[in-house]
Amino acid sequence: MKTSRLSTALLIAYGIAILGFLYLPLVSVGLASVSKARYLSFPIRKYAFGWYEEALTSDTVRDLLVISLKVAGVVTVASMVIGFFGALAFARYNWRFRKTYQKLILLPIFFPQTVLGLALLMWFNALGVVPSWKTAIIAHLVWIAPIATLVVSIRAFSFDAALEEAARDMGASQWQTLKEVTIPLLMPGVTSAGLFAFLLSWGNFPLSLFSTGADSTLPEWLFAKMVSGYSPLVPTVGMLTVATSAVLVIGGLLLAWAIRRLRPDT
Amino acid sequence: MTDSSSPILRISALTKTFDDFTALHGIDLNVRDGEFLAIVGPSGSGKTTLIRILVGMDEPSDGAVWLRGNRIDVVPANKRPTCMVFQSLALFPHRTVGQNIEFPLKLRGVPAAERKERALELLETLRLPRDYYTKRIQQCSGGEKQRVALARALAFDPEILFFDEPLSALDYRLRKTLEKELKDLHRRTGKTFIYITHSLEEAMVMSDRIAIMKAGRFEQIAPAEEIYARPVSKFVAEFMGEVNFFDLENGAAPGVMLSPAATGALAGRSGTLTIRPESLRKLSGGASADLSFEGTVTAEYLLGSRMQYRMTLTTGQEMIVEVLRENAVEDGIGAHLRVGCDLTAAHLIAEAADAAA
Amino acid sequence: MQRRERKLGLLYAAPLSLFLLLTFLAPILLVAGFSTMPEKVFSLTQMPDFSAYRTVLTQGYWKSVAWSLFMALLATLILLVICWPLAYGMAKVFKRFTLVLTIGVVMTLFVSENIRLFGWVLTLMKGGLIEGYWRYWTGQGFDAPLYNGPIIVFGLVYVYLPFMLFPLAQGISMVPDDARQAAYDLGATRWQILKEIDLPLAMPGIMVGSLLTFVLAAGAMAESKLLGGRAIITIADEVQTAFTYGQNWPLGSALAMVLIAIIGTMAIWAISKADLDAMMGRKS
Repeated sequence: MKTSRLSTALLIAYGIAILGFLYLPLVSVGLASVSKARYLSFPIRKYAFGWYEEALTSDTVRDLLVISLKVAGVVTVASMVIGFFGALAFARYNWRFRKTYQKLILLPIFFPQTVLGLALLMWFNALGVVPSWKTAIIAHLVWIAPIATLVVSIRAFSFDAALEEAARDMGASQWQTLKEVTIPLLMPGVTSAGLFAFLLSWGNFPLSLFSTGADSTLPEWLFAKMVSGYSPLVPTVGMLTVATSAVLVIGGLLLAWAIRRLRPDT
Repeated sequence: MTDSSSPILRISALTKTFDDFTALHGIDLNVRDGEFLAIVGPSGSGKTTLIRILVGMDEPSDGAVWLRGNRIDVVPANKRPTCMVFQSLALFPHRTVGQNIEFPLKLRGVPAAERKERALELLETLRLPRDYYTKRIQQCSGGEKQRVALARALAFDPEILFFDEPLSALDYRLRKTLEKELKDLHRRTGKTFIYITHSLEEAMVMSDRIAIMKAGRFEQIAPAEEIYARPVSKFVAEFMGEVNFFDLENGAAPGVMLSPAATGALAGRSGTLTIRPESLRKLSGGASADLSFEGTVTAEYLLGSRMQYRMTLTTGQEMIVEVLRENAVEDGIGAHLRVGCDLTAAHLIAEAADAAA
Repeated sequence: MQRRERKLGLLYAAPLSLFLLLTFLAPILLVAGFSTMPEKVFSLTQMPDFSAYRTVLTQGYWKSVAWSLFMALLATLILLVICWPLAYGMAKVFKRFTLVLTIGVVMTLFVSENIRLFGWVLTLMKGGLIEGYWRYWTGQGFDAPLYNGPIIVFGLVYVYLPFMLFPLAQGISMVPDDARQAAYDLGATRWQILKEIDLPLAMPGIMVGSLLTFVLAAGAMAESKLLGGRAIITIADEVQTAFTYGQNWPLGSALAMVLIAIIGTMAIWAISKADLDAMMGRKS
């Protein structure tokens, strides 16, 4: 009862159409970023890369970039560490509250980010903490750390418990087991989680909006401009952020592919 | 089961090719109404491909199939009056036993009350308790699941039932029990069963005829005894069990001492002599036989009620002999042994001795 | 080994758990507390009077709740229909194309939602990618289909597509192939197979996908703001307004609590039903 060739072809066409649908807006943004006109309208009369030049030399953009990078960077590292330990507790060790823990971890992922952001703002306020890019890190982590944990857990679930036990049987201490067995085995999952964390933090808006205070990330700036005071830099900066994400993803995939080629036993 | 006028299933020149590989080479087969036909062969011989085409899951590249005179290879699987019992049984995990059995009836719009009646009837036929009607599939044992799968297959009264190695995953005892039950079911329902297996033993216990398949072709199609005693090729002979081969050239075979009667019967003939280990008997003293062999015992194995010996003949060739335990060779390994058999036990295959098997 | 595992598990779970306790549960409790305070108050020291909740009911804020939930429901149903064929293809039909699709779709998640929605504005607006080129080629223009209710649902469908697609594909992949073949062999038509085999057995995936999509869409704000203008105000939007312009923390909190209560109940129910170990293929 194989699917007929026609059905398969139709399904593939459908899939391509959906992909096109998903990426169409980005095409518009891309085209807008190379339009010379200040007030955008299609068809584009003149093409120019002037806006890119302006964006890349702009101080505003540079400051935003630094803030976004700082936040994303710390979030990435933190997520990888938290995710590593969290995943072991999630997937591997049989401990008493594991099931409850699993459910607790999932809750922040389902939570509307706007509400979470606002709640955190109130919380910081109550604690007397002034919001800045540092509090943004915390806000991002609330959502991203559980996701990182899940990503590492995928790898941790197929973990062969016998490996750790064998190491201990041969005399390894807890730290040695961790270093020689657990960490290397989970590393691919951890790096994937790190990549996810960076990208999710890099592009996040709702949480940043409420937790950065006076500081501002790239997505925040973009949103403000989109809603009022359109600037032709918006599509440009937008495309730059997309490009960064794309470069990272492709880089990550290439790295993974290269590693698999060089070490066929992974 | 008599050789009725026309076959229920007629397969003609059925061929199936996948890209550069031919799985079936022009298969011809006539299946008799109500027979239990086993198709046996090693993995990769094309049995599953054949069955999938007969059931309708795949299309043939060439050839045709007729069921009671109607062309069915162009009919989609869900419209064919045939049913397959899958290797994995493919029971619906989210439905009860009763719902599984009733499924084909539900598809055909049979009203609920009638469906239930038929399902209960089938439970009885398959010797399952009535209250299994509401039982969940997960709660059934392996053997019970088999019977539910059978009941479901019989529900809409198909013309032919196909079986794709249904017992291969079961343990020995269960398999033995179900083999006999399947044969019994076949007798009671009178339906045509076409049964695929790689186990010869299964085929021999249950079937009326066996079709031996190799590399996309049928080597031999005949009842078990005939294939066993008169295999048409070395492959079939070896497939059916342990066997001894001897080259016969122009009426003479090295290592084989022929009696005058045997010499006469085999005069001028060439090919391969096949002799089953259990048709040999120990020759003591001056006893003689139509064909006799002489050598030393190199190994002995206890096979339940029988002893098996490996012996090396004076020509250096190895031979396998099986005798009843009470006739065991006393001195065991290293003993000198003479064995022999009747002319009727030696079957001549036309194939040359060194032809590729 | 057992005792070591138990201790390790607890130890390793501690960082994330404590972190979430402090940064997730605590703020929510704070919000809950604030929701009971008299309106326009900025501290928790007053006597609870639940006046904010009364405002929610009487001042028509419940309309935002209803609209948000309705649009989320609509988006979920639309996504079920749109994603099913694709998910079926990914799970049962495509071979390498599944990977292409997966990567293609996942990559869109890494692009900020705002940029993607903004791209739709650029695409659909008057003078935008579609209308601009259409007018250029045919001389006929048309109004932008923006700034209304339906376009918001469109935006929700667009943004949350991945969240329906992947769980659905996962669910369909768990429908045993041999059961489908057996059903076909027993006489089922394609529709009957869908109804009797596919839908029931893919139900876990359908539930997870639907719930995830619904919950996320109910709390969405950007779609209505960027694409819908002021046509429909979602509840998340109202929450934000109450907190910022409205300077009414108790009201904002009460609205937030309503949203949390509805989403939270559904999320908790879904999570409690899901057997994560089974879903993710635990080995031991």
